[in-house]
Amino acid sequence: MENAGYVTLTRQSGLMREMQVVAHNIANLSTTGFRAEGVIFAEHVRATGRGEDSLSMATAAGHSVSPAQGTLRATGGTFDFAIEGDGFFLVQTPQGEALTRAGSFIRSDQGELVTPDGHRLLDAGGAPVFVPATAASVMLADDGTLSADGQPLTQIGLWQPVDPTELSRRAGVLFEAPSGVAPAPPARLLQGVLEQSNVDPVGQIARMIEVQRAYELGQSFLDAEDNRLREFLRTAGSRG
Amino acid sequence: MRALDIAATGMSAQQMRVEVISNNLANMSTTGYSPRRADFADLHYQQMTRAGAINAADGTVVPAGVQLGLGVRPAAVTVTFEQGSLAQTGGDLDIAIEGRGYLEVTLPSGASGYTRDGALRRTGDGLIVTADGYEVTPGITIPDDARQIAINADGEVYAYFAGQVEPELLGQFTLVGFSNDQGLEAIGSNLFLETAASGPPLQAQPGEDGLGTLRQGYVENSSVDAVREITELIEAQRGYELNAKVITAADQMLGATTQVR
Repeated sequence: MENAGYVTLTRQSGLMREMQVVAHNIANLSTTGFRAEGVIFAEHVRATGRGEDSLSMATAAGHSVSPAQGTLRATGGTFDFAIEGDGFFLVQTPQGEALTRAGSFIRSDQGELVTPDGHRLLDAGGAPVFVPATAASVMLADDGTLSADGQPLTQIGLWQPVDPTELSRRAGVLFEAPSGVAPAPPARLLQGVLEQSNVDPVGQIARMIEVQRAYELGQSFLDAEDNRLREFLRTAGSRG
Repeated sequence: MRALDIAATGMSAQQMRVEVISNNLANMSTTGYSPRRADFADLHYQQMTRAGAINAADGTVVPAGVQLGLGVRPAAVTVTFEQGSLAQTGGDLDIAIEGRGYLEVTLPSGASGYTRDGALRRTGDGLIVTADGYEVTPGITIPDDARQIAINADGEVYAYFAGQVEPELLGQFTLVGFSNDQGLEAIGSNLFLETAASGPPLQAQPGEDGLGTLRQGYVENSSVDAVREITELIEAQRGYELNAKVITAADQMLGATTQVR
């Protein structure tokens, strides 16, 4: 019967979600290795009955992760690594292995390189990276070879999900790949540099304004629809 | 409306960043100070449609799902241990550490503290102490009649006496290194304490086991880079404003909702 309002409502609640995504991206403007995300809307078609027009509604069907390279910022930290190009670091978490672009590592009391949350960094062979506490200088080469006082220790591995479409997010700038991970094609590794969040503030603000206006448009449509119904009831009622 | 809460996490993160920056700038002239940096991580994800779920309509597997993030949280405040520049003071008891390592001092409680601040003094009894009066380990006492004190790169402390050509060895400073410098607990006054995360102190002579060497007559300046801090400050300020904008926009959307008849 009166479906116009409901169709608008699906759009409104989708816009609310998109607003939430924009807010999340902007909140993570300063998060090391953060990748901006987007919502993919899809048409949800519903048949209304034989001989009648079908209804088309909007639904948030999926999310996308921006693959853009984040800005690189020099920090000077010995264990601040950045990836220039594709690929992820592989870390070991209690919930299994996870991928991350956040290369701010710390040497633990055991001498292993860990993320600020304490997850171990894994090397190209999938083993934890150990750096002796007595090393005076630790150097990372472009290809990921980590050496202490000129002696090679190990090679930091770069990994990618087997199926790039199914990257799923976890708190702590981590990604999960349900189908597993595979070595990524070589990219450049940098020491003393961190990859910043790849959120583009201008783009996000533009999108935010767009969402806000689209939302208001929906509201005025609902208003107009409400008026139309009211008017119809008034005229129809006065004739009866 | 979750966008409001999310933007609020963003604002408090940027505010924390400003606090860390202002502490760095306030310590621009603190001997041996290393700047701190706030690190952030995304907070949590709400799984609206799980990736890998089966699409009810036609039985296909959802490849990406819908995950909605809930903002940002502080992950760590890390210390960037960069060598500060050395300032010449000419003081007999000013020693700068070139490279890694800390001097160990005995705190009034009897516990050990660790510092890179090598502006040392001597007490009335001739004992070598820090500017705050804490005894440097191992305790070295300088005799009253010593004319001059020489400290070499390995930490050996010599005294010259009138009428004597050869200097006399008084003792040797040791340095202490940690597996995880970031895990040390800063307690102010340029002092750090050992924690479970830092690992145990590894004592060695200066120049050994990857530790630095000592240089007499110099102090290590703060390694705060004012230009970098100011750039960060501007970024943090703009980040704060952007999050505030999101709050305004989300509020206007809410306003539009409540105005519908």
